Amino acid sequence: MTVNPDAYFAVATLLFSLGILGVISRRNLLVMYLSIELMLNAVNLILATFSRLHPDEGGTMIALFMIGVIAAEAALFLAVIVQIYRKKHTLDSDAFTELAQGKKL
Amino acid sequence: MMSTLAPFLPTTLVIIGAFVLLLISTVRSIHLKSYLYITVVFLLLAFAVALPQFGTRSGVYVLPKVFGHTYLADDFATLFDLMFLGGGALTLLINAIYLRKRDYYNGEFFALFLFAIFGMMTLAHANDLVPAFISLELTSIAIYVLTGYHKNYRGSNEAMLKYLVLGSFAGAMFILGTAIFYGVAGTTVISELAAFIQIHGSEHLLALSTAGLFIMITILFKIGAVPFHSWLLDVYLGSPFPVTMFMASVLKVALFAIALRLYLILYVDTGLIGNQIISFLAILTLIGGSWLAISQSMLKRMLAGSSIVHGGYMLIALSSIGLGAHLAAPAIMFYLLSYFISSVGAFGILSYIAADSNRPLTYEDFKGMAHRRPYLSAMMAISMLSLSGFPSTIGFLGKFYIFMSAIESGQFALAGLGIFIAFVSVYYYFKLIAMMYFYPCEEETCEQHPFEIHVSTLLIGLMALITIWGGIGTSLIPWFPGADGIISIAKQAIGSLP
Repeated sequence: MTVNPDAYFAVATLLFSLGILGVISRRNLLVMYLSIELMLNAVNLILATFSRLHPDEGGTMIALFMIGVIAAEAALFLAVIVQIYRKKHTLDSDAFTELAQGKKL
Repeated sequence: MMSTLAPFLPTTLVIIGAFVLLLISTVRSIHLKSYLYITVVFLLLAFAVALPQFGTRSGVYVLPKVFGHTYLADDFATLFDLMFLGGGALTLLINAIYLRKRDYYNGEFFALFLFAIFGMMTLAHANDLVPAFISLELTSIAIYVLTGYHKNYRGSNEAMLKYLVLGSFAGAMFILGTAIFYGVAGTTVISELAAFIQIHGSEHLLALSTAGLFIMITILFKIGAVPFHSWLLDVYLGSPFPVTMFMASVLKVALFAIALRLYLILYVDTGLIGNQIISFLAILTLIGGSWLAISQSMLKRMLAGSSIVHGGYMLIALSSIGLGAHLAAPAIMFYLLSYFISSVGAFGILSYIAADSNRPLTYEDFKGMAHRRPYLSAMMAISMLSLSGFPSTIGFLGKFYIFMSAIESGQFALAGLGIFIAFVSVYYYFKLIAMMYFYPCEEETCEQHPFEIHVSTLLIGLMALITIWGGIGTSLIPWFPGADGIISIAKQAIGSLP
């Protein structure tokens, strides 16, 4: 059974939009991180679909490289989240406004 | 064999240096000073290898059997390599005193620094959007960590968090644009894309324009153009001084390297939509950046705001490229150099003075500075004059070429706005000069500090001399390039692009 490629693009668009929505509206840092991963993986889906539509493997290769980049970002994000939780005991992004308000640090 | 590998040598040296530092950073007995000098030796060695390569090639694919058409060695990339290597070495040496007086720096700091420079160099060489994305992420990830390097300081944590969340959010747009280009054209190699856009551009106008804009959003975000600028002031304020200086000067140069390469193929004679948007964003950036810079009392935030404005001037020239101005691309490179020299001077003096205090510097701290530190005040005044574009400094010539290119492309209103904004910027730069020179010093703090002879202060002095030299000297010293020499070097580099 073959699925119309438009369906894949629809899913990818939905995932990417959900990711943007999550980064903008959610306050928890872990959920924001998951939303960014969702955006990047939506792009991976687009690349894989294009790779099937074009008769070449270039898109799949790019998706493979992307997974490496995503893993590097994951390591950094988790490290930051752990460090910040140790300092502040909260993961609410609204708690981090000291620089913007020019408070004494 | 050696000649085919020669273009790789500078990049290889930098990455080898990064790994060497990573290995020896576990040895506790090595002093911080040794790490600093090892890093600088690697950077200068790579600089010395890259220097004779300039002017010898116009576009050679290195090892095409292995890398295909992804790694391009041309004069354009070599010139940017030289700027990154020289800029990195300068940043470290000027901040030597600051690094020495803080206890949280260690070997990994320098390793990350070299990784960031390696990423920038591959970014300048990238002839394919995917390696460009990976280089951009490599640079960004190294700089995210550097931003949060003072890990027990809440401001540094917050700066890293903001930069990381917003930076990776914007980074996703770049790869989305790449994916759309791949879907439409079937390739991500920049030169093949250029050929595709020239032939089939009008058939896929909407898709190609959207993809180009997605990629431009990432670049504009990292530059700090106005709708995407919200992170910039906080991140600059929170990061340690050497990192702020690195982001404001060297990182900005790297981003314009990829922006120029992409802009020349996307918007010159192609009919893609987007050039008007860049013009519009240039207006927003100039006005919004000035507004932010005027309203600050901390000097680091003021310089951050002014770096947004300087990005705006370069966006003027970028949009002029799309309208066919031939002077615009060399003008951007000259402006990058002039902004780099002036801002390294200004940030260098701030970091030298901040090394002794633990709070952010404000305008008030500079009251009567000219009585206490006359030489440093003079250098600061020269940097400020150059940043505001005062005649007889290199900053004036940079702005002159930018406005000339805007006029050449027929954007008279934009050039007029740029000149007006340059006058506005006099307010926040000259406020500092007035603070230093027009106030008497208070009784108890009035003793004169002697001028400390150190590599940092001497290099700051050298920057001030170059600022003046670039503005007035042209051919007084035959082997040293003046302003005319720099602009012809930039033209040669742009000419090497396909």
